[in-house]
Amino acid sequence: MSKFPFLTLLVTLPLLGALILAFFPRSAGELAKRFALVWTLVVFALTVGAWLAFKAGGDRFQLKDDYPWIPQWGVRFTFEVDGIALVMVALIGLLVPLIVVASWKTVEALDGNRSVPAYFALLLALQGMMIGVFAASDVLLFYVFFEAMLVPMYFLIGSYGSHQRRQYAAVKFFLYSLVGGLFMLAAVIGLWVLGGNTFDWHTLVEAEFTTWAERWMFLGFFVAFAIKAPFFPFHTWLPDAGSAAPAPAAALLVAVMDKVGTFGILRYCLSLFPNASKYFAPLAIALALVGIIYGALLAVGQNDLKRLVSYTSIAHFGFIGIGIFAFTTQAGSGAVLYMLNHGLATGLLFLVVGFLVARRGSASIKDFGGAGKLVPWLSGVFFIAGMASLALPGTSPFVSEFLVLLGVFAVNKTVAVIATLGIVLAAAYVLWMYQRTMQGTLNPALNEVPAMKKDLSVRELAVVAPLIGLILFLGFYPKPVLDVINPAVQATFTQDLGVSDPAPKSEAKK
Amino acid sequence: MTFKLPAIDYLALAPMLVLFGAACAGVLVDALVPREWRYHVQVPLSLVALLASGGFVVALANRKEHVVTAGSAVVIDGPGLFLQGSIVVLGIVALFLVAERRLEPGGAFVAQAAVVAGSEADRKQMRKPGVTEVYPMMLFALAGMMLFCSANDLLTMFVALEVFSLPLYLLCALARRRRLLSQEAAVKYFLLGAFASAFFLYGVAMIYGYAGKVDFRGINEAVLGSSNSKTLLLIGLAMLAIGLLFKVAAVPFHVWTPDVYQGAPTPITAFMAACTKVAAFGGLLRVLYVAFERSSWDFRPTLGVIAAATMIVGAVLAVTQTDIKRLLAYSSVANAGYLLTGTLSMNRDGLKYTMFYLVAYGFTVLAAFAIVMLVRDSDGEATHLARWAGLGRRSPVFASLFTFLMLAFAGIPLTSGFTAKFGVFAAAVGGNMTWLVIIGVLSSMILAFPYLRVVVLMWLSVPGDDTPTVSVPGAFTAAALFVGVAMTLVLGVAPNQALELVNDAGAFLR
Amino acid sequence: MCGVDYLGSYRLLGLLLILGAAFFTVAFTANRLLSRRAPSAGKNATYECGIDPVGGDWAQAQVRYYVYAYLYVLFAVESVFLFPWAVTYALDGFGMVTVVEMAIFVAVLALGLLYAWRKRVLSWT
Repeated sequence: MSKFPFLTLLVTLPLLGALILAFFPRSAGELAKRFALVWTLVVFALTVGAWLAFKAGGDRFQLKDDYPWIPQWGVRFTFEVDGIALVMVALIGLLVPLIVVASWKTVEALDGNRSVPAYFALLLALQGMMIGVFAASDVLLFYVFFEAMLVPMYFLIGSYGSHQRRQYAAVKFFLYSLVGGLFMLAAVIGLWVLGGNTFDWHTLVEAEFTTWAERWMFLGFFVAFAIKAPFFPFHTWLPDAGSAAPAPAAALLVAVMDKVGTFGILRYCLSLFPNASKYFAPLAIALALVGIIYGALLAVGQNDLKRLVSYTSIAHFGFIGIGIFAFTTQAGSGAVLYMLNHGLATGLLFLVVGFLVARRGSASIKDFGGAGKLVPWLSGVFFIAGMASLALPGTSPFVSEFLVLLGVFAVNKTVAVIATLGIVLAAAYVLWMYQRTMQGTLNPALNEVPAMKKDLSVRELAVVAPLIGLILFLGFYPKPVLDVINPAVQATFTQDLGVSDPAPKSEAKK
Repeated sequence: MTFKLPAIDYLALAPMLVLFGAACAGVLVDALVPREWRYHVQVPLSLVALLASGGFVVALANRKEHVVTAGSAVVIDGPGLFLQGSIVVLGIVALFLVAERRLEPGGAFVAQAAVVAGSEADRKQMRKPGVTEVYPMMLFALAGMMLFCSANDLLTMFVALEVFSLPLYLLCALARRRRLLSQEAAVKYFLLGAFASAFFLYGVAMIYGYAGKVDFRGINEAVLGSSNSKTLLLIGLAMLAIGLLFKVAAVPFHVWTPDVYQGAPTPITAFMAACTKVAAFGGLLRVLYVAFERSSWDFRPTLGVIAAATMIVGAVLAVTQTDIKRLLAYSSVANAGYLLTGTLSMNRDGLKYTMFYLVAYGFTVLAAFAIVMLVRDSDGEATHLARWAGLGRRSPVFASLFTFLMLAFAGIPLTSGFTAKFGVFAAAVGGNMTWLVIIGVLSSMILAFPYLRVVVLMWLSVPGDDTPTVSVPGAFTAAALFVGVAMTLVLGVAPNQALELVNDAGAFLR
Repeated sequence: MCGVDYLGSYRLLGLLLILGAAFFTVAFTANRLLSRRAPSAGKNATYECGIDPVGGDWAQAQVRYYVYAYLYVLFAVESVFLFPWAVTYALDGFGMVTVVEMAIFVAVLALGLLYAWRKRVLSWT
């Protein structure tokens, strides 16, 4: 066990940075950007350190930091990560510096004189809280980060959002999440009272509940996570929030923040309420399936690029959902890997869409058309992002989608077959989107827009290059990540949930 | 007939005696000291008296010796002392708001309340300094509240009720601006309050008819052993409850709240919201926990319905408000519902966390009203919500503070609103009132909306020409604001000390 | 039935109420039946002394009247407490303590009077 408090620092450092940035004067915008970049790079370095300190194949939970908080309630600052959480923390550490770079000119482009330091302060605060959510292993601490995370995101959407409905979107986002959070609060309170006045995850996993109590508490947590993820029918906030938020923040929202939902289902719903999870699994799988088809169908019909990408996410979360609730380690590992890959692919897609929207000044697909002739490099990157999003073999999402389908197929062929339909639809929406924006005859209106003549800048290249590199690398060689994920998923399913894989072939796959 | 001289423990009564004495001295000051000196004598006098009273409370708490004194009329026990202490501390903060004279020449109070509003004489007195009788009246009210929390029989309780109510009725009528609204508020409050007092007194008579005693211990014994008809007990309890629920502003006895909160001078509104709540719930807790604990099967369903109605009605009506003071009034109604939820747990946790909630809510609401005092234009306070649009751009510091307070009201973690809600809900789950917790959670969701709307207005709306400025607070308001916000944060992040205090307070002495 | 026993002690009171009501009804009915009546407009006027009423019936009363009424109530209450005090004063062990207590009580009331005097409530201008 490492003595270096990686997780504590990973949580507090961004929050400290946010605090410092909050005291920057409005005029110090340029300085604030540089500060934020350096600060997030330091955090990224720490993340790399944490990854290296984590011994794959060692204990399930590692890097534990533990401090007392409210002894009367048995609340502690307990940070520790298993493989699943570590992957998510690493994703945050990697994405946020890129998002800082991608946000370099976002604030200035908005109408009205908006504070640049405040934007980056919110971004850093969000980073700290998101790391906290994944690193916490005290249920109340998790809840605290889960709820507090809303506040910076709310202001990012509401204050820095790019279109007229940003207020509506921000309030909708906040209320939806708060509703879920309050259901979860009721369940957390029930857990505390019935579980013996403790919030320690390890103790609560051992606790036994009556069937009804367990089912109700499961629902409390599940609704919160289903709203966060979002699963159908709790998804309607995402397209609004995704299209209203500034593109870099939207990338963060979809790529990382929504993963809190699926992560929470794995870590809390399944482990704490195994019997209820089995009881509700068919329902969850049904919702996830509906989400895959519904999200994909709506994505096909969208005219707004950002809304389109948001709907594709709903479809992808459906895949993660069936992966989790299939209850095989293969599908589970696939789902977790999907969480990472979706973060990379959709993050990339959102960022590229952001570049396009910033140039054109509109997110409407109609306003593009044949743009590939003006900005060939950007269009190429857009294509790669799209292909990653539809899980083309060779890109990393393919591996995860394949694993999920394989795992699901082993237990329920019907579900797997229906889910496969989602892949077909994914091809439809991605390719049609690309065709309508980049190919065909040049939309003459684009010539009028001087910004559309500028291809990918060095700054933008620096943002997309690492993501593309990772997507391709993990597409061919996912082993380092799978080595970290597999033991954690296996522990979740076999120890906590008490299910074993149906067929021996899943062992061979490892 | 023989009489025995009741033994009086003067030290135990000292906190109240100091305040009563200082209040009498205050009346003397107002009678004898020249007009221009009165303010400069009254404020230090009140402050010193409150500090001395607080000192005695601390000394008594350290004595750890709980007594029934003054012929069993007064009981000084752990919870009583905690409530007295909170009343003193909240009273000091409220005094800061009352003593503020920087924001408006002459302070928030009128010079001569009896002058006909709008008359020539009224216009003349606009520039004159406000009445200084508010200080002795406040001290009387505070002393009455302290007695109310530590009364050991129903008659003492009634006397205390009147002692703290009458000054409040008067204080409500003393607003410098919007005199008619203020007078209307006072008359409404007085008439309805008189009704409620009559109900209370009638209830006392009924209980006496049932138990043959008015002291809590005697009633408690009678509930178990009396052979009288239980109808008398139930009628009496219902009447008592009406009198008490009026003071705590529970639905359907809440109708006075919005009008009075709106019409009263803002410092007095803050005072009522913080201190009266503590006193009223202190009295309610003692009556229910000490005198009627054994008939909890009888009153819990009824009061439970009232608590549920209070939460829902308060939350729903808060949504429709357009005036910040009315909004806070309905929020105070809803909060009475949460407090009732804690109270009805009828276990030790219920007592502890209701007291904790009272303190947490008191500080937050004082700070909130302090900011309402600061947002003004040439016409006095600008309380209409539409006027608050864009306040975040004009004065980001105060808007941030107010946002923080709103988040606290909404129960977001890391604010005292969350810890307080968690406490009462946990107590209620432990006390088998889970259904109330579910309603509480649901109403919190509704209630989050109006708070959020204020935040949206302040930050996401563009400031108009008539957006008022936020005045620079005088030292007094600044102090009150600082204390309120700091306590909201401290009780949310590190409530250990406060929880230790409520824990040490132990149970009521019977 | 304990309810009947309980209410039994009120039997006398109930009887008294019925008798009272009967007396009232009988007296007024007898008056109505036996008296002679000669109605006139003058008899229906507000003031029978002959002064014609002026203005509406909603008039603002001087607030000073209330102040005087309050001051009166103040001392009426005081005397209510003074009587039982006079009885207990003579008991053993009550002497000095009761004197001091009553002195405080009267002093508080006197404070009110002093306040009213200093606020020139007592002079009618």
